[in-house]
Amino acid sequence: MKNPIVELIDSKLQKFDPIWQAENGVGGQRSRYYDKTGVAKYREWRGVHDTMVDYGAWLKNVLSMVQMVGSAPVACLKGFWEYRWMGSYLGTFMFIDRLFEGFRGDELKVAHLNMHAIVQSLTKKIALVLANDKRLGGGPLSDKIVPMDEVLPPLFMAGFPDLIPIPLQTLPEFIICDVDQHIEPYYIDVAESFGLPADVCSRCAAETGVAMDDAFPIFGKAMISTNMPCNASEATSMFQRRRIALPDFPATMAMIHNEPGAHPYSAQVLKDCIAFIEKEYGVEYNWDALFARAKHMNEQNQIELEKWDYMKTPYCSLCGIAETLYRLYAWASVNGQEDYFTKTDRKVIKIMRKSYEKKYEPFGGKTRHRAFLWGPSAVYYTDFPTWIQNCWGINIVLNMDSTMGHNMISTDDPEQAIQDLALFSEKGVMRHHAVGGWDNVNAIWEWAKNFNCDMVLFNDNIACKGMLGVHAVMEEQARELGFYFIFIEHDLEDCRTVSRQDMRNCVNQYMSVVLNEKPLDPTIVEFDDSQAY
Amino acid sequence: MKDLKHLIFFENLLQDAQNELVTQAIEEGNVALGYNCFYIPEVLLNLKGCFSTRLRAPRCTSTDVATYYMTGRTCPYVRSILERAIEGGYNYLGALFGAESCAAMERMEEHFYLLNPVKNDKFFVTIIDPPMKGDQTNLDYYKQQLTCKVVEPMAKAYGVDTSDAAMRAAIEKHNELCEVITEIGNFRKLANPPITGYEFHVIQLVSQVCPHDLILPYLKETLEELKTREPEPEFPFRARVVVAGSEIDDPEFTKLIEMCGAMVVADRYCFGSFPSREQIEIQDGETAFDAICRHYLHWNQCARFMDGMKIEQRHTEIKKLVDEFHADGVIYENMKFCEFWSYEKVLASHVLSEEMGVPCCTIEKEYALGSVGQLRTRFQAFVESLEIKKINA
Repeated sequence: MKNPIVELIDSKLQKFDPIWQAENGVGGQRSRYYDKTGVAKYREWRGVHDTMVDYGAWLKNVLSMVQMVGSAPVACLKGFWEYRWMGSYLGTFMFIDRLFEGFRGDELKVAHLNMHAIVQSLTKKIALVLANDKRLGGGPLSDKIVPMDEVLPPLFMAGFPDLIPIPLQTLPEFIICDVDQHIEPYYIDVAESFGLPADVCSRCAAETGVAMDDAFPIFGKAMISTNMPCNASEATSMFQRRRIALPDFPATMAMIHNEPGAHPYSAQVLKDCIAFIEKEYGVEYNWDALFARAKHMNEQNQIELEKWDYMKTPYCSLCGIAETLYRLYAWASVNGQEDYFTKTDRKVIKIMRKSYEKKYEPFGGKTRHRAFLWGPSAVYYTDFPTWIQNCWGINIVLNMDSTMGHNMISTDDPEQAIQDLALFSEKGVMRHHAVGGWDNVNAIWEWAKNFNCDMVLFNDNIACKGMLGVHAVMEEQARELGFYFIFIEHDLEDCRTVSRQDMRNCVNQYMSVVLNEKPLDPTIVEFDDSQAY
Repeated sequence: MKDLKHLIFFENLLQDAQNELVTQAIEEGNVALGYNCFYIPEVLLNLKGCFSTRLRAPRCTSTDVATYYMTGRTCPYVRSILERAIEGGYNYLGALFGAESCAAMERMEEHFYLLNPVKNDKFFVTIIDPPMKGDQTNLDYYKQQLTCKVVEPMAKAYGVDTSDAAMRAAIEKHNELCEVITEIGNFRKLANPPITGYEFHVIQLVSQVCPHDLILPYLKETLEELKTREPEPEFPFRARVVVAGSEIDDPEFTKLIEMCGAMVVADRYCFGSFPSREQIEIQDGETAFDAICRHYLHWNQCARFMDGMKIEQRHTEIKKLVDEFHADGVIYENMKFCEFWSYEKVLASHVLSEEMGVPCCTIEKEYALGSVGQLRTRFQAFVESLEIKKINA
């Protein structure tokens, strides 16, 4: 029951609510923005209660940022001076705001719980990295940090409790591209100026540019690279090892990973990797320390599996980008190593259970289609799932990358644990279904069916050779099985090749021409956000 | 120079995937086993009762249907192979042994079972997961992959004898062919060689696409002919170059370089003789299969190898070729959309020119030789720069 005063205020101020505006033809989500930019004239009005929830979350995130600067003020200042990418983190608040446009009620609460987990973790990581970055003078933990390729799940490193694995590319490249669409083109240009063709995957080109531009923080005694997820990623690793100039161990997990022969090989690679770290850092592997963190990962995965059950229904308060981004960060970057994420998962699942019990439908029950998002997503358009829900009522129920390694890890048997970790790691980001053979890609139809989806959105990274190679057979399968199917062209980290509007047009054209549907919010069908963060 | 006796015959053999020697071998009851990549040891496919044929798509002018399946943004080599398969050009194959050497290659090979374009009831496809490092763990994995996906299927589907004795016999024959090709190739080390890079390219290609038993007599005869062949009175080229990089199976590409004034003295690319014509040595206590796996892992210089040792090997092998074959520079090429060689080209050209002092020209090419005007300009400019360097020296 709503408080009558709140109800009165809500009714008086609802004309400022973009959802109400769109319903009544007097505006919408885009109305409050300055043209071409991501700068809003005022915050989104969501009713008294939800605006307070949103604003409270904003304050919590500000506090984390303040804590970050407060914990390492000089290092942060030096970081802003040294690294171009650091400046882009100033766009974080705009980034979060645009992720959750149109979110209300339970989905808003869950989204902010998840997002704050990311913000508090990331800000601590930035402070830690900068305070120990040898380019900025180093720190007490400089030689305790192990730079790792961000695509290799770091859970197995928990067996070195005195060392700190840091995903090397996350801060200067991956996460920051989520925040600011204009940062990575600079690094891509750096790589291309050395002769790298423009047709390679832009994510890897950006990583190469970061390496060539000496924009990776430097720490540790040795690094771990990987062949994950794909060809260009393997190739850029060779540049990074050379530029960073530390002894390196390429953790080459099996590429065709859905065969029994693959797992013993991957397990042996992990064992070799552990031996390499023991040698380079002069430490011994501690299985009990691994088991302690594996318990957290197992709990998170168990909760994830329960979440999936709710995702199969219309009454799931965790959806869209709140689900995607959290799972990506929590799995790939944190990987069981931070208690905060287990606690967040416990809170979120409680809300989800309640939402289901009370038959709560997110987005005011305006969802028209349930979609499974397949293929690696555009990093420069993180709020695409939000847009597609607000504009066309397409709820992205689950994303391919959220299906990453969810097998349980043994917590008492070292040999079994390493086998489990091998399987777990083989099924990492952009790998579980995009790499390793046709059957993995083709699994989409089963996933979509199980999650009661009528639509499949296929991310079409124009430089992803693996996914381009299955174009026609996927389309033929969709036709045969009766799914609505849209290719969303994008260039992963280069917004200049395929802009956000170009991506929106892929959907707009299908929805209006093929399905003959009308948008929920006409102000966001076509708009220019080319200058936005 | 006087024309080589068998050159036109060799050139004709390269006009079709199923050439007259391939047809003859099949008619004699042998099974044709296709492969695309060095990761699949050619020698294993030449066990008694079968023969290897490395897949090319000669005279491919359009890849329309393959482009529908794989888009126009993937490697033109794999699209050309798929197109040729859909056209029915590989119906003679008994099997395709693929390798996930790169994503595009894997996807192309998958279409061989998704679309079933090879009209041969016993035809099958396997795809190995090839190693990415040169260490023991990867050698073990390589052995396991080749056992499960090459050796055992051959025995099961076609009753091929895969015993150690059979493998030793195959190695012996393989080494004989390698010795002949190496000897022919070594003429290119001479100051005024009695063979051109184009001629050698043709010879190397026929040795890869034809049944070894049937092509070997012609190769031996050519070797004897070369021993007495009179070269031109003066070295007819303005420079000597090593060509390195990704897939090239069109000798016209070599001809184009040579028409621009640079003799191709060494070929370090997929389908080239470095690597592929090194002899396999069986060490004491080693099985023939172990020797094959070790040999192929050691000599493989694919750009997908990630460990420092193999990366350095890639660069030092090229420098070695430059020195041994007295080359003035290196032309580093990559097939359009080839991610591995795109990256390696950037790195290697930097290492060669900045750290090893070897002039380097980098180019990107299509599978079917097109845009020759642009390439010719690049090659001519490179040859001129090499000449200027010589004059300045």
